[in-house]
Amino acid sequence: MHLSKKRTGGLTTNRSLSMYLLLIPGLIFILVFHYLPMYGAVIAFKDYNIFAGSDPINAIFESEWVGLKYWEQLWVQAEFRRAFCNTLVISLMKIVIGFPVPIVLALLINEIRLTGYKRIIQTVLYLPHFMSWAVVGALFLSILGTTGPINAWLQSLGFEGVKFFMNERVFPWVLLVSALWKESGWNTIVYLAAITGVSPELYEAATVDGATRMQKMYYVTLPSIASTIMMMLILRLGSIMAAGFDQVLVMYNPTVYSTGDIIDTYVYRIGLGQLNFSMGTAVGLFNSIVSFVLVISSNLFCRKMFGRSIW
Amino acid sequence: MKQKISYQERVFQTVNALVFLALGLTTLLPFVNLLAKSFSSESAVLAGRVGLWPEGFQLGTYQYVLTEPQFRQSFVNSILVTLCGTALAMVLTCMVAYPLSRGWLRGRRLLILLFVFVMLFNGGMVPTYLLINGMHMLNTYWALILPSAFSVYNMILLKNFFEELPESVEESARLDGAGNMTILLKIILPMSLPAIATIGLFYAVGYWNNYMGGVLYITDPQYKPLQQYLYELVTESQRIQEGMITGDYNMDRDSMNATPDAIRAATIMLSSVPIMLVYPFLQKYFVKGLVIGSVKG
Repeated sequence: MHLSKKRTGGLTTNRSLSMYLLLIPGLIFILVFHYLPMYGAVIAFKDYNIFAGSDPINAIFESEWVGLKYWEQLWVQAEFRRAFCNTLVISLMKIVIGFPVPIVLALLINEIRLTGYKRIIQTVLYLPHFMSWAVVGALFLSILGTTGPINAWLQSLGFEGVKFFMNERVFPWVLLVSALWKESGWNTIVYLAAITGVSPELYEAATVDGATRMQKMYYVTLPSIASTIMMMLILRLGSIMAAGFDQVLVMYNPTVYSTGDIIDTYVYRIGLGQLNFSMGTAVGLFNSIVSFVLVISSNLFCRKMFGRSIW
Repeated sequence: MKQKISYQERVFQTVNALVFLALGLTTLLPFVNLLAKSFSSESAVLAGRVGLWPEGFQLGTYQYVLTEPQFRQSFVNSILVTLCGTALAMVLTCMVAYPLSRGWLRGRRLLILLFVFVMLFNGGMVPTYLLINGMHMLNTYWALILPSAFSVYNMILLKNFFEELPESVEESARLDGAGNMTILLKIILPMSLPAIATIGLFYAVGYWNNYMGGVLYITDPQYKPLQQYLYELVTESQRIQEGMITGDYNMDRDSMNATPDAIRAATIMLSSVPIMLVYPFLQKYFVKGLVIGSVKG
């Protein structure tokens, strides 16, 4: 460590040097674990053969170029088109139905008057966010399984049991409901924070005008957080390609591939399951590029509109 | 300020409170059901008779799970990976966040862009797998620790926090001849304990809950983390339900009076215990941390 004796000026270089040294481990880290795989994505344009080089990394360089071979194959594959459509459908379901839920919850939580009760409710509703999808997947399998309480209840009412995890029409709804159950509570936080920022004067003025609590909620709170809502919506639309890899991988099975298989799980199966590395990389790269364009444009849009963005 | 409460508003308050009671129960009851199942007898679980209270109370399921060698190994693996990973991640994150929080650092904007870019674009699952494979990290703890040992998102949160700290203390230390490292260790870090705690918890929960790392990189049972163990229980029982493979009911599970369903329930409960233990802290710091991050313009 260098402790400079000089007191003023002229220190910039010295001062900076140790700063750059501090950055080196982090830079090496993202270089190896992020930028190297980005380069590795060139195997989407090669016939990757794991034995072409001295090790799997060297093989990336040694494998033969094949241009767009895998990209042309991609669109012919019915499985890929299906995964692509499923990704969009599942994401859109999560947005159209799932997006308004935390907003409504936040508005209603804000109306709870008993502070203690409010805090307990928030504590409970945030809890599932901290559970992994392996836990939540296992939990839903127990609850919705053939011997689970939901089926027992349905049967006691005289209905037929539902095979939630094996019925291709029901399965996307299982994904939606479990995602709602896990994240809706947590997602209220950003709206509750926005509500805290609403000026109390607006409420006082509304009170003077004789507005009820409901009216204040509708005419004061909601418009005040409208820009936050718009921003969250646009950012959410930007991540439409992420339909929930962790979630689907633990919950799906071959009987529901037709409606449950998404791009990420498809990449996982053909790339690492069937060891078709180049094909898997091509699909993954396609996904990355589309996501990148969407995220960038939604952020630019947000910055233009609201002067805010996620970075 | 006391306000006059109209009849209509009292009705609204009551209905609202009841709605949230229902939502709260919807969140908690699945856990209660699992807890009940994990203490119930085999026949009650198989018949689907278990509701919110154990039927035919027994401890055999927990006895089975807790003596199962793979569960114990996986539990130890998860604790090891969580502790080492969080420690490494915190060191790395502080080392990057501090320089990038200083406005006078030349090339700062470019460096930040270099870090932020990896949040927006990734090479994909397959090239990353090949890399881990090529570095001989498959089936090692490294494969579970290293890929998530640095999160740009957490770094940005910490950087933003560092930027908000008052500069006066730092300036006077600099006049006394303190270098960057001294300032970071003696001034910046002690002033940032809440932010450090928040981000440490972010990492720890991330490591504990990560099952994907295991699924992608670990096939050797010796290194499987707990969440992967749970994932495999789930996929296995899914296949049993579909009749794709037959369940091994007649193994030593039977002598313990435990069904796969109850075993899964007990495993879920046990793997959630660490999260439940830190949850009070999580609640306190996470909300704060998220708010710190989100108000940044």
